[in-house]
Amino acid sequence: MKTLNKLFLLRTRLKEQSSCWFMRYISAFLFCFLLNPSFSQDTFTLSGTVKDASDGEALIGVNVYAREQKVGVSTNVYGFYSITLPKGTHTLVVSYVGYHKVEREVALNGNITLNLELKAEGNVLEEVVVTADREDHNVKSMEMSVNKVEMRTIKKMPALLGEVDVIRSIQFLPGVSSVGEGSSGFNVRGGAIDQNLVLLDEAPVYNSSHLMGFFSIFNPDVVKDVKLIKGGIPSVYGGRVSSILDVRMKEGNSKRTEFSGGIGTIFSRFTLEGPLVKEKGSFVVALRRSYIDILAKPFLKDDLKGVKFYFYDFTAKGNYRINDKNTVFLSGYFGRDLFGADFGFDWGNATTTFRWNHVFNNKLFLNTTLFYSNYNYSLDSDLKNENKEDVFRWNSNILNYSIKPDFTWYLNTRNTVTFGGQSILYNFNPGSALVVSGGEGQNIGLNSKKALESAVYIGNEQKITDRLTLNYGLRYSFYDYFGTRLAYIFDESAPAGERKPLLDTLVFSGNTSIQRYGYLEPRFSANISLNRSTSLKIGYNRLAQYIHLLSNTTASSPLDVWTPSTNNIKPQLSDQVALGIFKNFRNNMYETSVEVYFKTLQNQIDYIRNADLLLNPYVEGDLMYGKGRAYGAEFFVKKNKGSLNGWISYTLSRTERKVNGLNNNEWFLSRIDKLHNLSVVSIYDISKKWNVGATFSFMTGTPASFPTTKYIWQGISVPHNYSDERNTYRIPASHRLDLSATKKNKHALFGRGESEWVFSVYNVYNRRNPFSVYVRQNPDDPSKTEAVRYSVFASVLPSVTYNFKF
Amino acid sequence: MKKLLILPAAFLFFSCEDVISIDVKEGKEQLVVDAWLTDEVREQRVTLTLSQPYFDQENPLPALGAEVYLIRQDSTRFRFNDYDNDGIYTYTPRNRYYLRMNEMVGLYIKYKEEEYYGLSELKRVPTIDSLKYQSITLPIKPEDSPKSGFLAQFFATDFAGEGDAYLVRSYKNDVLRTRSNEYTLSYDGGLSPGSKSDGMLFLQPIRMAINSGSGLFVDQDRVTVELHSIPLDAYYFLYQVQAETNNGGIFATPPANIPTNIFNRNPESAEKPLGLFFVSKVSRYAAVIDKNNLRPAD
Repeated sequence: MKTLNKLFLLRTRLKEQSSCWFMRYISAFLFCFLLNPSFSQDTFTLSGTVKDASDGEALIGVNVYAREQKVGVSTNVYGFYSITLPKGTHTLVVSYVGYHKVEREVALNGNITLNLELKAEGNVLEEVVVTADREDHNVKSMEMSVNKVEMRTIKKMPALLGEVDVIRSIQFLPGVSSVGEGSSGFNVRGGAIDQNLVLLDEAPVYNSSHLMGFFSIFNPDVVKDVKLIKGGIPSVYGGRVSSILDVRMKEGNSKRTEFSGGIGTIFSRFTLEGPLVKEKGSFVVALRRSYIDILAKPFLKDDLKGVKFYFYDFTAKGNYRINDKNTVFLSGYFGRDLFGADFGFDWGNATTTFRWNHVFNNKLFLNTTLFYSNYNYSLDSDLKNENKEDVFRWNSNILNYSIKPDFTWYLNTRNTVTFGGQSILYNFNPGSALVVSGGEGQNIGLNSKKALESAVYIGNEQKITDRLTLNYGLRYSFYDYFGTRLAYIFDESAPAGERKPLLDTLVFSGNTSIQRYGYLEPRFSANISLNRSTSLKIGYNRLAQYIHLLSNTTASSPLDVWTPSTNNIKPQLSDQVALGIFKNFRNNMYETSVEVYFKTLQNQIDYIRNADLLLNPYVEGDLMYGKGRAYGAEFFVKKNKGSLNGWISYTLSRTERKVNGLNNNEWFLSRIDKLHNLSVVSIYDISKKWNVGATFSFMTGTPASFPTTKYIWQGISVPHNYSDERNTYRIPASHRLDLSATKKNKHALFGRGESEWVFSVYNVYNRRNPFSVYVRQNPDDPSKTEAVRYSVFASVLPSVTYNFKF
Repeated sequence: MKKLLILPAAFLFFSCEDVISIDVKEGKEQLVVDAWLTDEVREQRVTLTLSQPYFDQENPLPALGAEVYLIRQDSTRFRFNDYDNDGIYTYTPRNRYYLRMNEMVGLYIKYKEEEYYGLSELKRVPTIDSLKYQSITLPIKPEDSPKSGFLAQFFATDFAGEGDAYLVRSYKNDVLRTRSNEYTLSYDGGLSPGSKSDGMLFLQPIRMAINSGSGLFVDQDRVTVELHSIPLDAYYFLYQVQAETNNGGIFATPPANIPTNIFNRNPESAEKPLGLFFVSKVSRYAAVIDKNNLRPAD
């Protein structure tokens, strides 16, 4: 009932916001491609879905190519394709990397639905010569600044403590880095971690890590597809200014029931999947739980007996095909971390997503997503509730309700139009807390805040000539901050870098709007084909971001607070131009690319000295706003085929900030700046039984600030920087080699199914990579001062994992 | 909060800290004012030194030959003298009313032709009502202190009205127990301005903070608790001193200079001082731990 009310509220607010001038842009836009001359009379449309023959999973990005017409399309994220061709007989070539190519003669005398299934290549070794016409996807597609990593590659890469990890794996891609080993999140082209839109089956994830960043929340057994978009971001996406990480979960095996799992160093994983109703649907449920606490239990005595220390995640999905035109999906993700003995804290994400695929006709596809997401965290001073006299309990959460219709209109062979919108209703509860002292209690906390973020968009991928394809689009996002009781006005004339005094407090009632923002976000990209194996791509995008993660620490902690844009906090904006050249060699055996980018960022949040971010109602007075800029060049070589494959990526980049009140108001290096970033990933299939993987990475050290002088105050050595400059030093570079070996066994348990042993070694040559370098007084002799290198993983970390499937 | 997060991480992983040497630029020498005065009838000190390169392990140079005065609103001046020629300028008041409640008081320093000043104000402090202790046995014996002993806590109630800041420290047998930057700060009896504990009994973590330092109290130990009222600028200075001197690991914040409340009378002068001047009103409570007379908190 509550949810219904929220949706109603969402709808009424949407009405209030509708802006007529946007329609003017849309009509100009429609005009642009409707003039297109490529309409011909006798054309029919062929459409359908492409699935994996073994388990019925929809395949994303399969090339469907009409040989005689030399036109092709790719399947969308639900495996759907639509291609419009002249009347007559066509040879359809359906190809997908890692699958046997299918060729089909189709006599087109009317609109046809053709569902296809592709068979996976059994053993890669035997299939080294498979050549599909469209393996040059990277050259021919519109996508630039996009990296896809196959799950089967991720699974063969060496993993920290043997735990296969999506977020760690993408850090080997060009343009992606992190502030250090063991930090949560990732940085894309100079963007902060909160500037990545991490989508799990279309629903945003606020904290993508377990254990403060050591492991990502995605269970690798149920991840189907991972795509990272760093630039040229199409109009369908919005809401974050740096990148989109689109993670799709498996739908579950629709052919037979399958049980799989693994026992690793940190997690144990179990997945059950199977058909729901024969040929009509499927389900998958997957559970992961860490068990260090269970293993440690016998060794803990007395007071430590009650120590709680675990994290888990649970994924459940189901889909049901009502008929050829309608399919529904329901999925849920629940993850939680809990630490504590007497004192405890825990946090986690819970999302529920409902999706409905509807095919109106052969040319118009609709996916509507409804999601609910709840990210919450809490602290409790006394988990056992033994001492009722003194208690501190704190809860904080972000609730989201969203609706998102996305249409794809396969207008003709030259135009594919996407349009739709999204509305997200946020309910931020930055903290409600109970303090009891000496039996006397007080409920404290901050007022909850609401915001509605909406967007409408339209985009068209238009093939102008055989050599030139354009993708242009426009997104209009609008935002309303409302539903909080108090809004604060601060003295903006206060000296920059110092706390801004409160000038006035405005009182609001009900759902009165406090602040509105709206931005037009143009998107454009072009693919100019230079020859059969070479293309030049250009992209531009503007993005707006309305919610922000307040974090003033090197690595983000789970207790960092997300905050909406308010009357004081303005939305972040980014503009990015990227230019890339893509070329494949040796019949697509090697794909290469060089991309350069330049990105500017506005309204970047920084913090005054002494900023108080926890439970501070006047936190906005502790924030500063600056500009950012990032530029760089990314070099990428990938070998796709053969028993040895993998890639080398190198990024040369710079990320800077300018904030009034910091660093004498001049540009300074951002703390996520990485001048050099080199990654090598290689996987070698030795035999049917064995394969080995190796990864190497080298990264420039992060910028750091050190004091010039010290002074003694009450016996304390206080560090001081005479010129008050930030990030003028760098900590030493990091480099690391990881190895893995996988041995496949014929049978799993009870002589059935299959199984494998995965051996991995992290940090092979035992390097103590610095996470940070800082100064301190010597703990034993406070009169002495010293510099300290802090390493998160300061040893070789071997591990063994056993995986099975039957 | 930061320490709390590092705990489980260290539990599992193999992190490590190595002392290394780094080259840093040198800064200019600056006058450092260390002036924390209390309303107690005992020697009051203003220590003047000069700042030094960060990795210089020598004692700081004293700033000698300065004129130091404490000036009240009624223009009464108290001169601080450097009798030992060591940069420590002292004055011993005759009674504790040389500082007056809620009245601005100034520190004036003349050093090498430059004149410096700072302002502060004596704030209210609640009395400590009692001190209680309970016996405890640790699961693991610490290296250099006993496995069994006592945890103490003091009881005091914050005044109604927001904005009272305090510093807590303790003595064991008259030896200061808290190490240099391990004093405990409290805002309205709670941990930070955000805890909104105005007018309540000091929160448990503050009451128990007197146990910080090494080891448990044992039978017949004399425990002394000092509760100081401190002005807000001192609260933020001391808060940042703790942050800047324990700023390592995964959740480090960007290092930042700590603002001073000492100014050169000539704002155009290149000579900028460092440090802090403030005045405190002190509540004190002492008790001897007697194992035959346990006074648990509940």
